[in-house]
Amino acid sequence: MWSLPPPSLLHRLAAVAALAVGITVAAAASAKTVIVLNSDDDSLSVLDGDTYQETSRVYIGRSPNHLMMTPDTKFLLIADSEGNELVFIDRATGKIARRLGISDPYQIGFSPDAKWFVANSLRLNRVDIYDAATYKLVHRLPAETMPSHIAFSADSKTVFVSLQGTDRLIAIDLASGKVRWNVLVGPQPAGVWTRKTGTVLAAIMGSDHIAEVDPKSGAILRTIRTGRGAHNFQVSPDGKTLYVTNRVAGTISTLDADTLKVTGTLKAPGGPDDMVVTPDGQELWVTGRWRAWVDVIETASGALKATIPVGRSPHGIFMY
Amino acid sequence: MSDALMRLVGQVQGIVFQATVQPVLYWLGLMDWAEDVFEGLEVVLLGALAIAVTYILFRPLELWRPVERRTDRRAVWTDIVYTLVHKLGIVPAIIFLLLTPIGTAIDSYLRFKGYIPPTIEQVVPALRGWPLVTLLVYIVVLDFGEYWRHRLQHRLPWWWALHSLHHDQRQMTLWSDDRNHVLDDMLVATWDAAVALLIGITPGEFPFVIIGLRMIESLSHTNVRVDFGRIGGALLVGPQYHRLHHAIEHAQAPFDRTMGCNFAIILPLWDHLFRTARRTGQFLPTGVAALSGRAIRCGYLAHQVEGFRRLGHALAHLFSRCHPGFVAAFRTE
Repeated sequence: MWSLPPPSLLHRLAAVAALAVGITVAAAASAKTVIVLNSDDDSLSVLDGDTYQETSRVYIGRSPNHLMMTPDTKFLLIADSEGNELVFIDRATGKIARRLGISDPYQIGFSPDAKWFVANSLRLNRVDIYDAATYKLVHRLPAETMPSHIAFSADSKTVFVSLQGTDRLIAIDLASGKVRWNVLVGPQPAGVWTRKTGTVLAAIMGSDHIAEVDPKSGAILRTIRTGRGAHNFQVSPDGKTLYVTNRVAGTISTLDADTLKVTGTLKAPGGPDDMVVTPDGQELWVTGRWRAWVDVIETASGALKATIPVGRSPHGIFMY
Repeated sequence: MSDALMRLVGQVQGIVFQATVQPVLYWLGLMDWAEDVFEGLEVVLLGALAIAVTYILFRPLELWRPVERRTDRRAVWTDIVYTLVHKLGIVPAIIFLLLTPIGTAIDSYLRFKGYIPPTIEQVVPALRGWPLVTLLVYIVVLDFGEYWRHRLQHRLPWWWALHSLHHDQRQMTLWSDDRNHVLDDMLVATWDAAVALLIGITPGEFPFVIIGLRMIESLSHTNVRVDFGRIGGALLVGPQYHRLHHAIEHAQAPFDRTMGCNFAIILPLWDHLFRTARRTGQFLPTGVAALSGRAIRCGYLAHQVEGFRRLGHALAHLFSRCHPGFVAAFRTE
């Protein structure tokens, strides 16, 4: 859905942001650039995908945790949870275009039809549903407790949210704001992912597996063992491989996205969290939450290509 | 250098967390606490670092130019225990567990009412992109709040009953800063949480600046004959300036409010603005006149119990007015 920007764009972004804090940034162009949010440092790191170096680190706001592109692809959206704001970075200019005050956006997501914007407040036990065009709050739901990750149904009618503190997965009707179902899914669920088939996957962080859930009833259809501390999902650009980070085991499981059969295990020490895959599918970039680094793993061989030091508690990651 | 040191602390934090803490959390089914505990481990490590640096820097000063000889080793040992349970995260963890649910409920309620705590950068957009300046502004604003919190600790009899534990030490040393009752700490944490609802939380990018400020607080309690001079003393609270605040003549019971002085924590500016500054150049004896003996020369737990006793008397006096006075409430011998 998202296209790549001109090669030098992110460097312009980094340069503009860095100039604001009085640092100089190398202006070399790069074929791929990666943004990492260092949640305990209130900063973002700009990584060069060719040299595997951090080219700059800039202050962005309190506790940036997650980021994504807006549906129109004009802005990179960064959610500062403790700063209570969304930061809009203009892709064309690399400048911060806008800071929008909203309440504690921890995990964020747009529905596939771009009609809804959902922000979870993990700390305050609340799910906020906004009109994605205006960012006006439409529904605010209490969500006991620790609403964490987000996934949408393909028809954009339902959002699925994991509740880490109560071992539950809930389905919320976006139009009415009503909870359609609320089920026990496993201890401390984290990542949520909607498959092409429509079923929902939940990563069970307090255990060693993922669960496949019926989107209509919330019934658990099956579980698949991946590794201790199953945390989050990412799919390869060709849609064939599903990656699952296992935070406690320090590994990433590779699964056949169609059958959910585990096909391999990649080493990723350091508390693997969020992931991105390069457009050619050859590299998997993963934030190492506990070790303040980003690992670059060759997907074919599982070899560790690079470990890039970044700021404290790197969390969300995004590749241009 | 600070980046390299912070990176080293971070790597130790990560290794310890992965090798020892995370497996326990997983085994106990508490992985939803993983990020909080991880951050807590950083507090512990930075606290240990702060203790080490404070000792290395300030203990030689105490040996070089002490105000008084250490005659009461037991009292100093109690302060060392206070420092360890505070800086190594035990008391902060208890406070976190007790107060977080209440703070979350209040914050969540306010959000449902449409209130979002602002940050100072949102009020002053010019600070955007200047995180260190922003942090300094936060420090000034928070220190202003700390000054008034400290004034209340002395002004309100029931709060003074708790805060008097901090003041009853007659042998002030570099270890005395953390000598506080756990209820007093909870009140301070509540105060800080209320301030955070008004101006947001402090930026997290410069942990060493925060450690530096805490070391200034330790230095201000250090048993050293050092005065920052006319200019330095006007800019920063130092040992002589703060010793006057702890002087026994200013902490009589009942507390003589007109005699209280030098309440500032970091910046003496507030004392000058609100006419509570006192500069004499003297290094006076410290303590609370009405308190002596076992009430102040005891171990950590006994001292905490003593704090509850003082609070009980203060509240009884406040509510029933059947006690002859605040002095008697404190008198134990």
